[in-house]
Amino acid sequence: MKKFNIAIVGLGGQGIITMGTVMKNAALNSDLQDVSGSERRGGAQREGYVETFVKYIFYENAAEMNSPRKNMHSPMIESGGANALISLEPLETLRGIKYLNKNSIVIFNKTPYIPISVRMGKTKYPEISFIVSELQKVTKHIYYYDIDAISLEKFNALTQKNIIALGILFAKADIPIERSAVESVLAEGKGAENNLKAFALGLNL
Amino acid sequence: MAKSNLFVNGSEGDKAIVLGNEAIARGALEAGIGYASMYPGTPASEIIAVLDKNKKHVENLYTEFSLNEHISLHGAIGASWSGIRSLCAMKNVGLNVASEPAQFLAYTGVKAGLVLAIGSDPGAPSSSNEQDDRWYSLHTYMPIMEPSNIQEAKDFTKDAFDVSEEFSFGIILMAPSRLCHNAGVLRFGNIRDRKNIKGNFKKDPENYLNLFSLAVKNHAKYLERNELLKKYLIESKFNKIINDGQSKIGFISSGVIYAHLMEAFDILGVYDHKILKLGFSFPISNELIKRFFEGLEKVVVVEEAEGFLEFQIKKIAYETGFKGSIYGKEFFSRTGEITLDDVISGVSRFLEKPLPVSFDFAAKKDKELSDKLPQRSGTFCIGCPHRATFYSILKAVGFSNTDEKERDVVIAGDIGCYTLGLLPPYNAMDFLTCMNAGLSIGQAISNFDKSKKVIALVGDSTFYHSGIPVLLNAVQNGADILYIILDNSWTAMTGHQKTPSTQKDIDGKPSANVLNLKDLVKSLGVSYVKSLDPNSVKRFSAQIKSALKEPGVKVLIAKRECILQEIRRNKSLFKNDPKVAETGESLYEIQKSRCVKCNECFVELACPAIILKKDEDTGGDYYYIDPASCVKCGVCYEICPNSAIRKVEFDLKSEFKIDGKSLEIAI
Ligand code: SF4
Ligand code: SF4
Repeated sequence: MKKFNIAIVGLGGQGIITMGTVMKNAALNSDLQDVSGSERRGGAQREGYVETFVKYIFYENAAEMNSPRKNMHSPMIESGGANALISLEPLETLRGIKYLNKNSIVIFNKTPYIPISVRMGKTKYPEISFIVSELQKVTKHIYYYDIDAISLEKFNALTQKNIIALGILFAKADIPIERSAVESVLAEGKGAENNLKAFALGLNL
Repeated sequence: MAKSNLFVNGSEGDKAIVLGNEAIARGALEAGIGYASMYPGTPASEIIAVLDKNKKHVENLYTEFSLNEHISLHGAIGASWSGIRSLCAMKNVGLNVASEPAQFLAYTGVKAGLVLAIGSDPGAPSSSNEQDDRWYSLHTYMPIMEPSNIQEAKDFTKDAFDVSEEFSFGIILMAPSRLCHNAGVLRFGNIRDRKNIKGNFKKDPENYLNLFSLAVKNHAKYLERNELLKKYLIESKFNKIINDGQSKIGFISSGVIYAHLMEAFDILGVYDHKILKLGFSFPISNELIKRFFEGLEKVVVVEEAEGFLEFQIKKIAYETGFKGSIYGKEFFSRTGEITLDDVISGVSRFLEKPLPVSFDFAAKKDKELSDKLPQRSGTFCIGCPHRATFYSILKAVGFSNTDEKERDVVIAGDIGCYTLGLLPPYNAMDFLTCMNAGLSIGQAISNFDKSKKVIALVGDSTFYHSGIPVLLNAVQNGADILYIILDNSWTAMTGHQKTPSTQKDIDGKPSANVLNLKDLVKSLGVSYVKSLDPNSVKRFSAQIKSALKEPGVKVLIAKRECILQEIRRNKSLFKNDPKVAETGESLYEIQKSRCVKCNECFVELACPAIILKKDEDTGGDYYYIDPASCVKCGVCYEICPNSAIRKVEFDLKSEFKIDGKSLEIAI
């Protein structure tokens, strides 16, 4: 049995849940493969912390899959258990730090969304350099981009940033899922043309 | 849900990625339900929403978003007595409202299978308490099934209908938010033939006329049925003993916590302890537990909340003469969600087995950082009328966050999207408990503390849920209070179900039976009632001020549709009729030169579309309206005391207007 865990974090309204859904739908091809993972959804409101987990399991054979000792179904990722972390908001990357180990790959978006406590002058938003140095204490594999700016520049909208981030994930991490499987999920979904473009864009960053 | 709508058409051999809630709904569909209802509540809402959305593709399926849980469960009972398999869903606290029908259900029994799916919310990310509804069953005798993953969510639901019919109990299917919102692979089964779903109510006075000596008889009957069910559960497929090691330690768990436990064992590299997985957490058979206890010296119960299983297991241990020790809450917290991490740490402590290095390191790092990071809380959507409502209220009562003035008006909160008004920067609630507590508690406070004015808030959906008698009570008893109904036409927080206020559906179709809220309020005997647009903040604020001066019960209806629904409808109308879109554009902008950073828009109103930008030239910061997120509600434009925000309009003839005045020069 092999596991591969991806934690995706960010804010309500950034398309976090969609990223998880795309990655999960790309894993329906084999019978010896399982995927699940919970989504933390607030209400319909914006700007709250949102996280979603994508947990792939690959079984050696049917016997292993059917053994209750090996058939894993926790919807959560444990501390230090993520192979990859994607964060669409810099500060939230640090809230996702608990999922990292020394081999984890981290991809994060540099565009900050200022929480209300910072607006009110009660706290300070951390510098990107602080975020990076904290992450570096855990793993060396850190990649960050201004994904908001890239999405705005290429698509004239922020809506593509989540799929761009998935492209980056495939470029930087060794994901045990076929890239083409993700592409066919995107091709069958809403806004296929832009999503495929965004994915390709991320792949080349 | 996947492309070819497997939710409706899928059959054995198909699989798809579905949400736990959808899996429950699919299980009910496979079992041949003809009735599905709920009062929406996170985390359970999608259970009925997905059935409602698909009902036009499903023969003989009735769905209902009932006005409250009490009505909803009664509806399911009526359907069951008519021979229709019925599914009712609600969130944990919904059972408080539906506790009355739940109390009677064991007495009267069911005809066709009835399943009550409950979404519990440990850690309370979307609730006002952590209530574990399983305790209700100690007196309602409703059997409880707890699926541990997405596949079981479907399979258990399907089977629950058979068990319900066989033992004549309504079955509770418990799913915590972690399962409701777990998305993963589901393997489908076949759907029962739906052609013959037809109601036929057969009179059954002995069971259904539940009073006097008949009630006492029914009481005895269900205690008997409960014993039969216990017997059935000794060998049933729902409870499993895993016994492949030599250890004298046993673990008992159920539901998602069982899933955490199995993964925790794998992460800790522990494979030899005896395990009991309870698919039914009520009732529990003494015989089953006795068999599990065999050869064990120590037993640990791994579960959430106050220990419903532990309570039962300890009683059974006493009754069966178990000599070993039983643990539980010493290792797993009574409060908050029990996460995978908590199970790993608890098991590691109990077995005195070291934690994996990477786990330990990451957990410590998280702890060290979490105090240092600015907290983040959700807020109203951009352009949400609730933001304007709170802003208006705070202005009317003379409160400001910028100068930290005290607010002596008491503001009573209630349940809905507007509950977010209790968070900074508004801090505009003084208490918040359950549905419609605002006005009822507020009425008494205004009665006993005459030095303070009281404003009670309520949303339209919450008002219709159980607020009408509360308002009538305030009128009847001569209360002195201002009641503001935030009528945004939808049960927005749970995914936009309709309320009696919904005028137009998202496709533009007018709703049938729309209620005139103002007339309703008047008919209850309120003479001071006004309906106005909260986005006209100055007018609204002045109205609140003058209402507070009047005696008696005053009602203001803040009437404006949820911005998300308005945007969605406009989008779909544009799509169908491109001409509608050709009406020109407008935008709001902050003129850097005039803005003095007084913070009226940035902190007091706190619209998230107004952001801080770095000035490349000076290195300083300035306020900026992000045109990609601004929805042009115009509220900031109205409130800026320095006229620094302007409205720029341009139509297709490239005519420009600034603040309503035409410009000569075209750009
Ligand atoms: S209200 Fe006007 S002056 Fe005050 S910060 Fe906003 S734009 Fe600037
Ligand atoms: S007009 Fe002003 S208040 Fe309204 S959405 Fe735009 S920035 Fe926010």
